[in-house]
Amino acid sequence: MEPYLQTVSLCRYYRRGPHEVKALDNVSVAVNKGEYLALLGSSGSGKTTLLNLLAGLDTPTSGTVALEGSPLTGMSRRELSAYRARKVGMIFQSFNLISHYTALQNVEAALLFNGTPPAERRRASAAMLESLGLADRMTHRPGDLSGGEQQRVAVARAVVKRPEILFADEPTGNLDYDNSRSIAGLLQSLNAGGLTVVLVTHNHEMAQEYAHRTVRMQYGRVTGTDLAGATGGAL
Amino acid sequence: MTFRDLVILAAGNLWRMKLRTTLTISGVLIAITAFVAMVSFGAGNQAYVEKQFNKLGLFSTMQVFVEKKGQETDSAPAPKLDAAALERLSAIPGVNLVYPYDAMMVKVRLGDSVVSTKAQALPAAAVRTKLFSGLVAGIAFSGDSSRQAIVSDDLLHRAGITRPDSAVGMSIIVSVRVSTLDSALAHVLTDRGVSLFDRAKKVHVDSLLHAPYRSKVLRSEAGEVVRRFFTGFTDAQATISDTLTVCGVRQEGRMGRLRIEDVIMPVASAKRFKATGFGGSPIEIITAMSNGSIFGSTDEGESRTYSQVTLDFDPKVLYTTIRDSVEKMGFKTFSFAAEFAEIQRVFVYLDLALGVVGLIALLTASLGIANTMIMSINERRREIGVLKSLGADESDIRYLFLVESGAIGVLGTLGGILAGWTITRIVSAIAQRYMKGEGIPPIDLFALPVWLVLIALAFGIGVSLLAGFYPAARAARIDPVAALRND
Repeated sequence: MEPYLQTVSLCRYYRRGPHEVKALDNVSVAVNKGEYLALLGSSGSGKTTLLNLLAGLDTPTSGTVALEGSPLTGMSRRELSAYRARKVGMIFQSFNLISHYTALQNVEAALLFNGTPPAERRRASAAMLESLGLADRMTHRPGDLSGGEQQRVAVARAVVKRPEILFADEPTGNLDYDNSRSIAGLLQSLNAGGLTVVLVTHNHEMAQEYAHRTVRMQYGRVTGTDLAGATGGAL
Repeated sequence: MTFRDLVILAAGNLWRMKLRTTLTISGVLIAITAFVAMVSFGAGNQAYVEKQFNKLGLFSTMQVFVEKKGQETDSAPAPKLDAAALERLSAIPGVNLVYPYDAMMVKVRLGDSVVSTKAQALPAAAVRTKLFSGLVAGIAFSGDSSRQAIVSDDLLHRAGITRPDSAVGMSIIVSVRVSTLDSALAHVLTDRGVSLFDRAKKVHVDSLLHAPYRSKVLRSEAGEVVRRFFTGFTDAQATISDTLTVCGVRQEGRMGRLRIEDVIMPVASAKRFKATGFGGSPIEIITAMSNGSIFGSTDEGESRTYSQVTLDFDPKVLYTTIRDSVEKMGFKTFSFAAEFAEIQRVFVYLDLALGVVGLIALLTASLGIANTMIMSINERRREIGVLKSLGADESDIRYLFLVESGAIGVLGTLGGILAGWTITRIVSAIAQRYMKGEGIPPIDLFALPVWLVLIALAFGIGVSLLAGFYPAARAARIDPVAALRND
């Protein structure tokens, strides 16, 4: 079966003054439809860079990213925006909610760019927040919410458009243990519902517990791939 | 993202930064206020001049005159403005009325005052045209043979009459001192008891055979004849008087080549003075001598020529059509429609000069808009990154910032137009009150025509959008990866 997303010899180099930094060097990975894939590695290993390239937010120095066989790297800027607007959901470690929007407006913002009519935007966003237990927090601004609530709003924003793939970049990095478990469980249940999930984490217990497969990275390179339950003590 | 979404997002962002937005809008508002107020002044004056021209029917009036000697462009003699020419001018399609400028020096007794001035003969039809419609008191004379006159307010002033309406119905005695050919010829024959025969007796007949003596005698006697002739004309004047009733008072004013004298009387009344002889003006005598009318009737004769003729034509007919027809006959023309085109050009320059001052203020305000938008971008980098991660295209971000700067322009411009209009109304009211106090007819110095509103809107919004272009492009180019990085 053809992978949903696949990278081949993907490189992303940055220039910092006279030096060239190889953030990603010759990485080839595949993400299958409905899979829960964890990208595991320490800080600076290139996992966030890979995530940005898979989400179409960044362009590679060389190599290709293919979406169901069609290269993302050949897409126009507008096509990449449409890809993010319709097929991609993203969650960040620092939530990245817009501070002057209410929780409801933050979720609605995800539907601004995929042609959803205004009334449907409001209805779908409210329903999503309710389903995540935030019915009484809709009119609150991010500053009035706890870290766990903010991340749940971020999850609602990521999945309200019913994306095909969810990229989660250290989603529990700023959360306490209980909230981390809650968010991890939420991602697992979304995956169970058929959503493809790519999780970036440096927490190998979490990767081991929830992901179907773990790709280990170091210094911008893939150092190994493990199936569920097979990563113990690898890093 | 739809335009509605852009407007809602932009409005939310501007509302969130109330103080900054208000200050930026104020900059545009002040600039547009200055622009509207200044150009409105030019437009007001232009509207006033146009209104006056229309009121007096000047757009449908043309002066026809003969080219002055020395100005003729070809060898053919200039045509005369005589009765035949008047008939030809009347026959031009669109011409309603033709009347010559026919004036004379008169003495006018009005109340207890006697004033030397000029009187003009006009047909009743001419007095009923728009040109003479602006009477400050009374009405036009009823017919060509009515014994009435229209006088100027300046003449009343000189006669010590301050209220124009009090002059209506007053008697006015118009006197002309005339010289006749008979008195001149009689004076040639006898001057202070010395006849030409007495002088002839003093000539030595035998000495006439000597050329120098003969030449001296001829020069002396010819000079004496000429002297006696002119002395007879100027000294032996008779006074012709007629009593008329003041039926109307018009405002004094000479416009371009259009000459309107202090006293206007019907043609038939004027004819009584003309039938008797010549006025005291040497120019009149010399003109009569040069055209030969001194030896015949000068009033309605075929040889009578005029210095100037006025045409009143249908306002629907283009003045250029009439002008071309008249100039084809070899006459020169003067029309207020042509003059107005020149005046309009001056007003355009005035509007431009005033507009440039306003635009400089607007350009300064545009720097404020650019500054506000750039500050906003720096503060909203993460928001822009988030929107891009959610699927916003560069064009969505660009349009969002352009709508924000455009909204500042729209609000500032609408406010500026309203403020500009309010200020011009206040200044105009003060100016009109001052004019009334000074005895000047109050006029509205300002006007806010639709074209000015549209130009203000176009400039205000256009400049605001231009000011937003660079910040919008900069916002659109923000790298989402860098914007979302945890630092």
